[in-house]
Amino acid sequence: MLSNNNPSLVLHGIGDLRIEDRPTPSVSAHEALVAVTKTGICGSDVHYLKHARIGHYVMEEPMCLGHESAGTVVQVGAAVKGLKTGDRVAMEPGVGCGTCDLCREGRYELCPAMSFAATPPSTLGTLARYYALPSHLLHPLPDNVSFEDGAMMEPLSVGVHSVKTLGRCSTNEVVIVFGAGPIGLLCMAVAKALGARRVIAVDIMQEKLDFALGYAATDVFLPPAKLADEGLEAYAARAVDELSKKLAVPEVGPGGIQLAIEASGAPSCVHMGCLALSPGGRYVQVGMGAQSSVPVPLFHIISRELQILGSFRYGPGAYQLAISLVERGLVDVKPLITQRYAFLDSGAAFEATKLGRDVDGKTVIKCIIDGPLAE
Amino acid sequence: MSTLVPSSQEPTTQVDKTPQDQPKALKNDNPSFVLHGVDNVKYEQRPVPEPQADQVLVEIAATGICGSDVHYLKHGSIGHFVLKEPMCLGHESSGVVVKLGPEAGRSGVSVGMRVALEPGVSCRSCGLCKAGTYELCPHMSFAATPPIIYGTLARYYLLPADLVHPIPSQVSFEDGAMMEPLSVGVHSVSTLGKCKTDQNVIVFGAGPVGLLCMAVAKALGARRVIAVDIQKERLDFAKSYVATDVFMPEARGKDEAADAYCSRMSDLILSSLNIPALGPGGIDLTIEATGAPSCVQMGIHVLKPSGTYVQVGMGSNMTLPVPLFDVITKQLNVTGSFRYGAGDYPLAISLVERGLVDLKPLVTQRYDFKDALEAFEMTRQGKDESGKPVIKCIIRPPP
Repeated sequence: MLSNNNPSLVLHGIGDLRIEDRPTPSVSAHEALVAVTKTGICGSDVHYLKHARIGHYVMEEPMCLGHESAGTVVQVGAAVKGLKTGDRVAMEPGVGCGTCDLCREGRYELCPAMSFAATPPSTLGTLARYYALPSHLLHPLPDNVSFEDGAMMEPLSVGVHSVKTLGRCSTNEVVIVFGAGPIGLLCMAVAKALGARRVIAVDIMQEKLDFALGYAATDVFLPPAKLADEGLEAYAARAVDELSKKLAVPEVGPGGIQLAIEASGAPSCVHMGCLALSPGGRYVQVGMGAQSSVPVPLFHIISRELQILGSFRYGPGAYQLAISLVERGLVDVKPLITQRYAFLDSGAAFEATKLGRDVDGKTVIKCIIDGPLAE
Repeated sequence: MSTLVPSSQEPTTQVDKTPQDQPKALKNDNPSFVLHGVDNVKYEQRPVPEPQADQVLVEIAATGICGSDVHYLKHGSIGHFVLKEPMCLGHESSGVVVKLGPEAGRSGVSVGMRVALEPGVSCRSCGLCKAGTYELCPHMSFAATPPIIYGTLARYYLLPADLVHPIPSQVSFEDGAMMEPLSVGVHSVSTLGKCKTDQNVIVFGAGPVGLLCMAVAKALGARRVIAVDIQKERLDFAKSYVATDVFMPEARGKDEAADAYCSRMSDLILSSLNIPALGPGGIDLTIEATGAPSCVQMGIHVLKPSGTYVQVGMGSNMTLPVPLFDVITKQLNVTGSFRYGAGDYPLAISLVERGLVDLKPLVTQRYDFKDALEAFEMTRQGKDESGKPVIKCIIRPPP
């Protein structure tokens, strides 16, 4: 029984968030309608709140926010098979065209016609009562995976895509992750779940490193402070040198770092990541920082034949694997949920994510917002 | 029925180059060549289809015949694909786009465009489609394959816009019809076989698919392309076409066991063609395009360690013996090849466009639409009425 209103959290402009009623979406033959139960907030949501744009994605009209969600199916289109009303699902919020060369060759995440929740030019988002998606993008949640876990599947899938699909992390490898925010932590969790021998977390905040060590990292490293007149290259070399000595990581051979996940976007980390890798190593850039161009150590990339890969969202198989890792207990996303808010308090969730701390001073990793209460 | 003498001329009823900006007037009939049961075909009028959504309507210009088409005519089924209702035949075609569906515009396809047709519509949304292997989609709708009742031996055919591949003006409509089997060759040799320049490739079976596989291997820079067949005529043609070497196995000895025979033939292939069992000069890639049990064995025996074996030929045996000892000890990469997938048609077209593959020698007979049944019969017999071997028969569209 569908409710007759659809309260939605809509961004009208910079800093201007309003809860308003929007039409309940109708579903086409291959879509299903989901009543959203839980939604996580991401740095990109906050970025839109602050800037009304990210790069070339520019908000031209009011846009409902939210894209990391789970919920319950309440209506299915006439041609939908395998999914029914009442099913609990994680929502994959990006609809590719399915017919372009990139979709056909298995890289739908790069589809130029991608329609993504809470990303212009779409005006729809999951911070609402209802959201419609093609049924093949609604991934069933096993009984032991909660709705909160389900909402975490979106960022966890980013981790899967970076570490497994592109990073090709395999058992017994040594992996380094730069940035111990939510994405970095989830990347660490995936690497550990795939059997990495060591997972080294790097961050400039000791608090984040302490958390990482208790969560999924086997080792942590706090880079030294950069000296006033020290160049970027010299600093990165010095930091990696210190890391290698402190953590007994050889430059080449067994025990060397084969995979670097860069989840901060900071220029110094980009450098450190390349310098820390063993010859032939893989470097995956998932962190999107403030600069769209950063210096990279090209000589190092050439002479060590490093494989540099960009990682964007998630592709085939990522959600399925994310769900499987949580279902089988190989990844635990619960420790990353640090705050919970009612739908009407969404604004506070954004504020806390923006500041990195809630009103009680507790660190934010992931805020989860409830779907609007049933009427 | 008029006299059934195949003409050896290029089709003249259909213009080869259609002006891009002059939409063809649609005819209001759609004569179709429809299979009703074993050996039971009828010419029927079917409705002219209307393109919906992102579909386009193509006016067919040329259609090739394949062993599978003949098989449906003679048996009414292939494996678990069983004819249950009248089905229009034909799936290897080219044509001209004559109408766009309401959402087909943004695909880049336009009215008047000359195209090769990729006749399989997958679901786009299952795990196999999304992972880039749409050829394996369990919901595939393929022309002239039950339960689909549509085929390209008609005036018009509907396809989603992304499944019609533009062909440049130097690629004829007959070449365009050959893109379907050539894409099978591309899929086997390039996509799955990963054939690279300077490799040595052996192809078992010098029928149309085998020949096209040889052509792709050569186009990709294979150093040696070795053709194996039991018919000397086919080997002579292969040698004149693209093969660098040919081999004809002798008949099996009266009391010779199959395994011993295959081993002996494999040794003979290597020794007579001066091919080492391993190291430089050894065989990197086997394309098995016959489905014959002895060729499967030979194909595995002759490969160098770490070599790749691609099974594209579908014979009458669903199950046959494989020399597993060789597969294990040489750590061979054995893969099945089915139809074609992402990137295969574009590569096929590119190879022909750039002159790296020449399809013209493979078109051996041409028939008018009203004589289509003759094309099937000649394809089945392997020779036409004048005794000329059949490689590929092309059928002209309805006038």
